Amino acid sequence: MARRNRPGRIVLGIVALIVGLAFLAPLLWVLVTSLSSRGEVYRFPPSFWPDWHWSNYSQAWAAAPWIRYFLNTVFIGACTVALVLGTSVLAGFAFARMRFAGRNVLFVIVLAVMMVPQTVLIIPNYVIASRLHLLDTYLIQILPFGASVFGIFLLRQFFLSIPTEIFDAAQLDGAGPVRMAFQIAGPLARPSLILVGLNTFMGAWNSFVWPYIMTTKDSIRPIEVGLNSFYGVNGTDWTTLSAAVVFTTIPIVVLFLFLQKYFVTGLYSTQGAVR
Amino acid sequence: MRATRRGTLRSPVAYLFVLPALLIFLLFSIGPTVYTFALSFFKWNKLNPALSTYIGLQNYETVFTGQGDPSFWSTVGISLYFVVGMVVVGTAAGLVIALLLQRGSRLLSAVRTMVFLPHVTPLVATSLVWVWIFNPQFGLANLVVHATGHANIDWLGDSDWAMPAVLVYSLWHELGFVSIVFLGGLTTVSGELSEAAKLDGANAWQEFWYVTFPQLRPVLALVLLVESVTSLQAFTQFFVMTGGGPGYATATLGFQLYQQAFVFSNTGYAAALAVVLFLVTAALSILQLRLQGGGFPSFRSLLLRPRQLRKARTT
Amino acid sequence: MNRTRWMATAAAAAVAALALAGCSGGSGSDSDSKSTSAPTLDPDKKVTITFLEAMASGSLKTELEKITKEFEEDNPNITVELQAQPDYNTLKTKIDAAVSAGNAPTIAQVYGEWAAAYADAQVLEPLTAYAADNPSATDGLYKGIKNSLYIDKTLYMWPFNASAVAMFYNPEMLKAAGQDVPTTWSEFAKVAKAVSKDGVVALPMDPGSSSGPAGGTTVFELIAEAYGTPVFADDGTPQLDSKAAVKALNYLVDLKKAGALQTGTNYPGETALGAEKGAFDISTTTSVYYDQEAVGDKFEMGIAPVPGADDGTRINQINGTNVAMFSGATDDQKAAAWKYMQFLTEAETQSEWAQATGYLPVNPATLKLDDMKDYIEKNPYVTFASEDLADSSALPPYAWVQDGLGDLGAALQSALAGNATPEEALKSAQEKAEKAMAADQ
Repeated sequence: MARRNRPGRIVLGIVALIVGLAFLAPLLWVLVTSLSSRGEVYRFPPSFWPDWHWSNYSQAWAAAPWIRYFLNTVFIGACTVALVLGTSVLAGFAFARMRFAGRNVLFVIVLAVMMVPQTVLIIPNYVIASRLHLLDTYLIQILPFGASVFGIFLLRQFFLSIPTEIFDAAQLDGAGPVRMAFQIAGPLARPSLILVGLNTFMGAWNSFVWPYIMTTKDSIRPIEVGLNSFYGVNGTDWTTLSAAVVFTTIPIVVLFLFLQKYFVTGLYSTQGAVR
Repeated sequence: MRATRRGTLRSPVAYLFVLPALLIFLLFSIGPTVYTFALSFFKWNKLNPALSTYIGLQNYETVFTGQGDPSFWSTVGISLYFVVGMVVVGTAAGLVIALLLQRGSRLLSAVRTMVFLPHVTPLVATSLVWVWIFNPQFGLANLVVHATGHANIDWLGDSDWAMPAVLVYSLWHELGFVSIVFLGGLTTVSGELSEAAKLDGANAWQEFWYVTFPQLRPVLALVLLVESVTSLQAFTQFFVMTGGGPGYATATLGFQLYQQAFVFSNTGYAAALAVVLFLVTAALSILQLRLQGGGFPSFRSLLLRPRQLRKARTT
Repeated sequence: MNRTRWMATAAAAAVAALALAGCSGGSGSDSDSKSTSAPTLDPDKKVTITFLEAMASGSLKTELEKITKEFEEDNPNITVELQAQPDYNTLKTKIDAAVSAGNAPTIAQVYGEWAAAYADAQVLEPLTAYAADNPSATDGLYKGIKNSLYIDKTLYMWPFNASAVAMFYNPEMLKAAGQDVPTTWSEFAKVAKAVSKDGVVALPMDPGSSSGPAGGTTVFELIAEAYGTPVFADDGTPQLDSKAAVKALNYLVDLKKAGALQTGTNYPGETALGAEKGAFDISTTTSVYYDQEAVGDKFEMGIAPVPGADDGTRINQINGTNVAMFSGATDDQKAAAWKYMQFLTEAETQSEWAQATGYLPVNPATLKLDDMKDYIEKNPYVTFASEDLADSSALPPYAWVQDGLGDLGAALQSALAGNATPEEALKSAQEKAEKAMAADQ
C-alpha cells in the first residue's frame, strides 16, 4: 500500500467516481424527467435541466390510490419478514445443530426449491389459492413467501460457525432446543437476521408477478402492481409516469441508505455461507 | 433428549422446527412442481380441465423437435445469449468494480453506495425508466449514440439491439450485488500472502492472478451459481421492456413459460418447458458446484460443516 | 420402460384427482345451460354481479362508473362490482386465470377470439334464449356488430364499446408541406413521405408483438384488406401471406425506409403527435380524447376517415369489445347481468357513453337522440366513423385468431426492424397461425 502514490490514488478516485455516476445517471435522469413539462421532455437532444414542473407529482399522486398501495406493501412486507425470520431460525437451527433421521434429504429438498422456476408455478398456485379461498387476500401475498431457502441456508451456516461450547454450556444449564434456538442462537445471528429481513422486505417491495395474478382489487394490491397499472393506463405520459416511479422507489432507496451498513456487514459476517 | 456429539441435539423437536418451512415449500413450491410435472403429459385445457386429454410424451416431443412457436431451440439460444452475457460480463465487471473500490476511502464507499443503489430499486419501476431511456425518438441512450455520429437506434424495436438493451439494464441492476459479494470476499483474502508475493517481486497483475484470485474461488462459485440461476429465470424486465419481442428476439425460456401458459393457453406445453427449465437449472447448479475444483469439491460439501469444508479445500 | 409407464400412470392419477377437484365447482352449470328459457329476474332479491373490464383510465373509468351507478339506482337490488384491469392483455390473463380456477366473473369484456376459446371450453353462457325475449334490441344493432356477436350461429356476446379506425393528424404540417388530407393508401404514402423531415416521422405506430396485436397491427390489416385480401377469412382461415398482405407489409417497410414510419410501444402515435414529431396517428376513435390531451392547444388537431382502397372503396374494421356472460354464475346473477347488458346498449346509455369516451354507438337509433345530434354537430367525425362502422365487420371469432394475431405482430416487428423480408416474415407467421388453427380444431 505504501507503494501507492498520490497521483495514482487520484486517478483511481476519478475512475471510481465516473463508474459511480454512470450507475446513478439513469436515476438522475428519471428525476429530471419527472420535473419537466411535457413539451420539455419530447425533444431531442433531451435537456438535462428540468423546468421544475412539480405538478407532475400532484397529477401522478392523484391518479391512483398510492397511500393504500404503500400501506399494503409495508404490511405485507412486515408480516413476511416476521414469518421468514421465524421459520429460518427454526429450520436453520435444526439443520445446523440437531440430528434427526432424513436431515440431509430434507436439506437437499430445501435447496432444490431454489431451482424451481417460479413463473410457471403460478398456474397451479393460482388453482390452490382459489381452492383455499385465498385469492384477493393479504394472506396469499404473505404465506407463500414465509419460508426462504436463502434465509434457512444463511442461518444454518451461521449457526454452524458458532463455537459448540456455547451450546454445550447451555445444555448443561438445562436449556431445551426452543430456548437454545431463540434465546442463544437467534440473538447471536443478528447481522444475518437483519440481512435476511432486509432481503425479504425488498423482495416484498419488488414483488410483481405473484400479486399481479393473485389479486384483482386495488384495495389489497402492493406498490409495484399499482405502478404497472399506472403504466398501463398512463404509459404515454412519461413525465407523470416518471414522477410515479420516483415516489414509489424513494422509500425503498431511503430504507437502504439508512440500513446499508447492515447489508454489508451482514454479507461479510456470513462468509460462512459465502465461503 | 440426549447429546450425541458435542453441541448436537438429538430430539424429535427437530421435526417441529423444520415443519413450518417445509409445509410452506410443500404447499407452494413442491406440490405445484409435481402438479406441473403431471400437466406436462396432457393437452391441458386450463379453462375447463375436464376437457383435457392425456397425450403422453407429446409435449416433450414438441419441445425437443423444436415444433413449438417459437421453437424451443431458438428460445434456448436466446436464453443462452442472456445468461452468458449476464454471467460473463456481470462477473468480470463485478470483480473489476470490487477491486476498484476495495480500499476504504470516503469517496470509494460513497461510490459503493452508488453502484449498489440500482440493485435495491424495484424491477418494474426501473425497467420502466430504461424503456424511457431506450425511447427511439427522445431517449437518453440515443443521445450517446448521437454523440458518436451514428443514426438513432430503435433499441427495443430492433431485433439486433433489443437483447443488448435488456442486458445493459439487467447488468445495471445486478452489478451492485455482484461487486458487493466480491468486496466481501476480498476482505477475507490474506494480506500476508499478498505481501509475501510482493516481496518475491510479483507485479500487481501476478499478485492478483496467482494470489488473490485463487482465494476468491468460493465466492466466484457463489456468484456464478446465483447469476446463472437468476438470469435463466429472469422474467420481469422482459415482461415490461420487450414482451419477448421484437419478433421473438428476446423470447427467453423464462419468458416463454409465461407466454405459453398465460397468453397462448398452451398449458401442457408450458409445463413441459418448465420441467425442462427446472432440470437445466438443477443440472447447471450441480455441474457448477462440481466444476469449481479446489474450493468446492461437490454439491455434497454444502451438507458438511465448515471445519470439514476447510479440510476438504486444503487437500 | 416400466418406470416411464409407472410415472405416466401416477401423473395421470394425480391430474385426474386435481381435475376432479377443479371442476366440482363449475361442472353443474354446463348441463343446465342448454335449457331453452332464460332465467328471470326476481325483483325482490338482492344480487351482486361482477364485471371484469379494462376501462381503467380517464373518462372511460369515470363514465363506466357513472352509468353503472345510474343502473344501480334504477335497480336498487342489483349491485354491479366493476373490476377494472389496466389493459387488455392483463384483462385476458385475469379472465383466463379466474375461469381456470373456477371463479369466473359474472360478465367480462371480451374480444371475439377470446370468447370463442371460452365457448369451446364450455364456460360461456349462450345468450340466444335471453335475446329471444326482445328481438328488437338485437335487430336494432348495426349489421356488422350484430354478426360479430355469434360463434357458430349461437349468440354468445352482447355489444358494449365499439369503435372504428380514424386518422388523427396535424393539419399545419400537411399545409407546410403543401399536402392535402390523404383519402387512399397510395395518397397517404406520398403525403407521409413529404411531411417526414426535420425530425418529424409521419406515422409512429405500435406493430404489436407476440403477446398480442396493437394499433399498428390494425393498420396493417386495413391495408391488406384494401389491397384485396383480409388477413383472416370469414371462417377464420389465416391469410397472412396472401399477395395483398405481402404488398401491405412492403408498403409499410417502404415507409419505414423513407423515414416516414417509426415503430414504438404504448401509443407512440399519440405521443409524437402531441410532441409535434409525428404528423399522423391512425388509431381507433377512442383515441380522440387522449390525442386531444396530448396535443393541447399547440395546434388544431384534424380528424379524417382512415384512408381507403385506391379505387375509393371504404375499408374499416369494427374494433372494441363485447360483453360475455359466464355459465358458472347463479340464475339470479345471470338474469341481473342480462338486464345490465341490455341497459348498456340502450340508446340513452350509448349516447352518454359515446359522448364521454369517443366510442361509437352500437345502434343507429342512438344517433337520432337530440343530445347526440348536438354532439355530432360539434364532433363531425362521429358521422363518418359511424358510417364506416355500419359497413364493416370485426375479426372473425375463432380461438386461433388470438395466436394468429400474435404471430402477425411478431412478423410485423421483424420485417419493420429489417430482420426479415416481408415475404419471409409473413410466411412464417402464416405457418404458425395454420398450426394454431389445426391444434384448436
